[in-house]
Amino acid sequence: MYARGVARVHPAKRSPTLGLLLGLIVTLAAVVAYSAYITRQVKGLRQLQSGMIDRNRKDSLQLLRIQNDLNLLAVAMRDMIDNDEPYPLTAWSAQFRRIRTDLEDAMRVEAALAPMSRTREQSAELSSSLAQFWNAADRVFALADKGNQKEAREQIQLSLQARQAALSTTVSRLLVRNSENENEAAQRIVQIYDRVQLQVYLFLGATLIAILLTGFSMIRWNRRLFAQISELSERRSELAQKLIATQESTLRYISRELHDEFGQILTAIGSMIGRAGAHAPEGSAFRDELQEVREIAQDTLNRVRSLSQALHPVMLDEAGMLATIDWYLPTMERQSGIAISYEKQGAPFELSSTAAVQIYRMLQEALNNVARHAEAKQAWVRLRFLPATLELEVEDHGVGFSARPARQGIGLVAMRERAELLGGQIVFTTPVEGGTRVHVSVPRANVEAGAKEKS
Amino acid sequence: MNRRSFLRGVAGLASLSQLSGLRGLAAPDAAVSAGFRLADVTSSAGISFQHNSGAYGGKLLPETLGSGCAFLDYDRDGWQDILLINGMDWPGHKRQRSTLRLYRNNRNGTFTDVTSPARLDLEMYGMGVAIGDYDNDGFPDILITCVGQNRLFHNTGKGTFVDVTERSGLGKRLAFSTSALWFDYDHDGLLDLFVCNYVKWSPERDVFCSLDGKHKSYCTPEAYRGETCWLFHNRGNGTFEDATASSGIFDSSSKSLGVAMLDHDGDGWIDLLVANDTQPNKLYRNQRNGTFKDAAVEAGLAFSSDGRARAGMGVDVADFANSGHAGVAITNFDNEMTGLYEFDGKSYEDVAAQAGVGLPSKNTLGFGCVFLDANLDGWLDLAVANGHIDETVRNIRGNVGYAQPPQLFLNNGKAGFRDVAAELNAGFDQPKVARGLAYGDFDRDGDLDLLLTTNNGPAYLYRNDQLAGNRSIRFRLVGTKSNRDAIGSTVRIVAAGMTQSRMVKSGSSYLSQSELPVTFGLGKNDRVESAVVRWPSGRAEEFKNLSAGHCYECVEGKGISEQDGF
Repeated sequence: MYARGVARVHPAKRSPTLGLLLGLIVTLAAVVAYSAYITRQVKGLRQLQSGMIDRNRKDSLQLLRIQNDLNLLAVAMRDMIDNDEPYPLTAWSAQFRRIRTDLEDAMRVEAALAPMSRTREQSAELSSSLAQFWNAADRVFALADKGNQKEAREQIQLSLQARQAALSTTVSRLLVRNSENENEAAQRIVQIYDRVQLQVYLFLGATLIAILLTGFSMIRWNRRLFAQISELSERRSELAQKLIATQESTLRYISRELHDEFGQILTAIGSMIGRAGAHAPEGSAFRDELQEVREIAQDTLNRVRSLSQALHPVMLDEAGMLATIDWYLPTMERQSGIAISYEKQGAPFELSSTAAVQIYRMLQEALNNVARHAEAKQAWVRLRFLPATLELEVEDHGVGFSARPARQGIGLVAMRERAELLGGQIVFTTPVEGGTRVHVSVPRANVEAGAKEKS
Repeated sequence: MNRRSFLRGVAGLASLSQLSGLRGLAAPDAAVSAGFRLADVTSSAGISFQHNSGAYGGKLLPETLGSGCAFLDYDRDGWQDILLINGMDWPGHKRQRSTLRLYRNNRNGTFTDVTSPARLDLEMYGMGVAIGDYDNDGFPDILITCVGQNRLFHNTGKGTFVDVTERSGLGKRLAFSTSALWFDYDHDGLLDLFVCNYVKWSPERDVFCSLDGKHKSYCTPEAYRGETCWLFHNRGNGTFEDATASSGIFDSSSKSLGVAMLDHDGDGWIDLLVANDTQPNKLYRNQRNGTFKDAAVEAGLAFSSDGRARAGMGVDVADFANSGHAGVAITNFDNEMTGLYEFDGKSYEDVAAQAGVGLPSKNTLGFGCVFLDANLDGWLDLAVANGHIDETVRNIRGNVGYAQPPQLFLNNGKAGFRDVAAELNAGFDQPKVARGLAYGDFDRDGDLDLLLTTNNGPAYLYRNDQLAGNRSIRFRLVGTKSNRDAIGSTVRIVAAGMTQSRMVKSGSSYLSQSELPVTFGLGKNDRVESAVVRWPSGRAEEFKNLSAGHCYECVEGKGISEQDGF
């Protein structure tokens, strides 16, 4: 019934889940797309780095190795021409062989590392120039082997040194080309970095906008939700208070009816039976029966009065809350066997009838809880009339809330509602000694007789 | 990481901690922990030598590189004598007369200068020395490498030497020669000669180099053209023929300072390892047909592990890991670290850093280096002579001095080395401008003493005194079919389950020659279960149950005889 009522007041609104989900999907898609883009760029960079720059550098190292070997050959040839060693030119053949082995190895490695931009003609030029050099070298050593030292030296000067110089120039050109390639690659890398930087900024901007939109949307939905919750809470509280008020008035009505109507009837019945009994013969059985009926009627009257008092102490209306409490606490002690210490502070002020009932009910509920759940032998009740507030405190040193069954009855809820009905608040704490302390605090303005009540 | 790498790493850390200041905190009984002490007996032994580099301010390149030293038994009395090489004043700057010095062992811990009686009282700009009985007459002959003409002195056997340079065919060869060694590369029973040459230098070709643009300084080798090493084949008639070209040794780019012999491929034919300065090192593999082929690149010895040609100075080869295959030590320039190479079955790997030799040698410029079992524990240790070439180096590199402490790296047998020079007393670790380094048991007490030379300074003789009671055994080999000095022979012993091997070798170190007898440390063991001698002739002989505390003389094909003591 309650849900239906709420639904009528607040027709169903569109859920934010779909919007948020959509936002999440869009954001994730953007992240995935961006990751893919970055991965692609990094891959491109890596390829550029390993496929071009690293390879270029390795190739340059091999070219330098070749250049170094060519320089060693140049130095050896210079020594051969200088002719200041007591050895024939053939003595250099082992040195040439060593250099040749290293040179050919370097050429082989270099060919594998040569940049893509190297033309077939360039590669062919290098290898054919080298082949021609070794052919020439072989001829020189062949001449030297036959004893033609002079002619061999001439050949070194005319042919071998020139070929070595040409080879050296070719290798130098390749080194320069590698250096240019490296510069080009470096420029391309800079361009890629620039592009990636721009994309990063764009992505960050888009992400920022998405975050802002999502944030604003969330705030809007949250505010709407909070408003709904607040309204629902107010309505629930209103309902609860109405229920309490209805309950109180009902109880008061029943109590009065019981006290006034049934009390008078039973009193009248008792008087009438008493009078009728006076007419009956002394010692007769009829007289005894009438007396018995009269006693039943009196007993019923007592019970009705007791019930009436329990449902709504008439004393509250007639003698006020303090007197009712003074009556109630000894009664409670007797019924529950709990020793109750009662302490009153401050100058009492007159309470409105509504406030008196609510505070009395809270006291009742609190002490009932002590009796039912606290397993305590003693309880303390403190009533403080402070300048601005009225405080009620019920304390026991029993097992406390944590040791009680988890499911709390409607009593605690009703206590809270009653406190709120008076514009006050109720706090449940655990004293140092253990147990439970129920602290009710209500503004004096809301409870004092003559002042405007909250509800 | 395998166990060996791990142990090397630990050793490297240990050496690092030592660098961080433990040197100065060595306990008084630190020598006891090293197991031996070195006593400086130079003066008490009667050694009084001053090297003359001839330096007059001209900053001529050879001045900063000499000179070497040698242990030799020139009178064949069984006691090691001492030869110290000297330079001389440069022409036009004559101030004094300086000659090499030959000291005869008096067999009582002292020496007598017999330079003049031995007719070696000759001036020359000497650099290195190689001792070998090239004519197999039983008396060791002396080759002295020089700036200019090298000199070959024939031992007459009567306490005198005769200069046979010209007669032997080694004359009329001017060069800047450095280290040299004798070996029989063609297995004809005659010692052939290998000579390292540094660069094409002469006073006339001297180049002006300067660190500050004003004052002349010593040039680095890059300023000069290389010079080939020489190989001289012994004809057997007292003369030599130049086999440099025909053997394939010729290489005009080499700038060689050190040479060591080894049998790299285990074929019984001696190969050569040449340490080059700023040029790739060379490993000349003997092709068994009178020719050699350089295999240094494939063997991993040509360059440093980062592919650079270092400034190789001294070199030694020995089985320091007791693995059965020789390892290599090559000293280099400062900031290059000493190379310590171990054979991994295929090629050599520089393990200096992991083994604890790299870091302590980072700020030293090493020259002489020898593997020797200094504490006789059965593991070869490494001694290194250090000293910079430039006396102003500290102005340029604050942490590198001109004079530098020698180092003695003890091998812990677990692939780790630790420099104990500071623990040996006697001022061994006092900074010196050291160059030559050789070992020999001059007092015949069974352990190896050290002879160290300095540039333009004194020579030092350090007596090794064992403190831990470790035992040793020595072998003196005499070839019959093989060369009489048995150079190139290997001795492999098994004692208490541990196998060690040594080669009888000429050369090694820097400009120097150690004694020919081989010494094995045995720790606390009294016996050697087995000793196998492999002669250059191919013959192998095994001897069993030998006693520690003796020197054994082994004559090829004629058995072994125990000497009285060492």
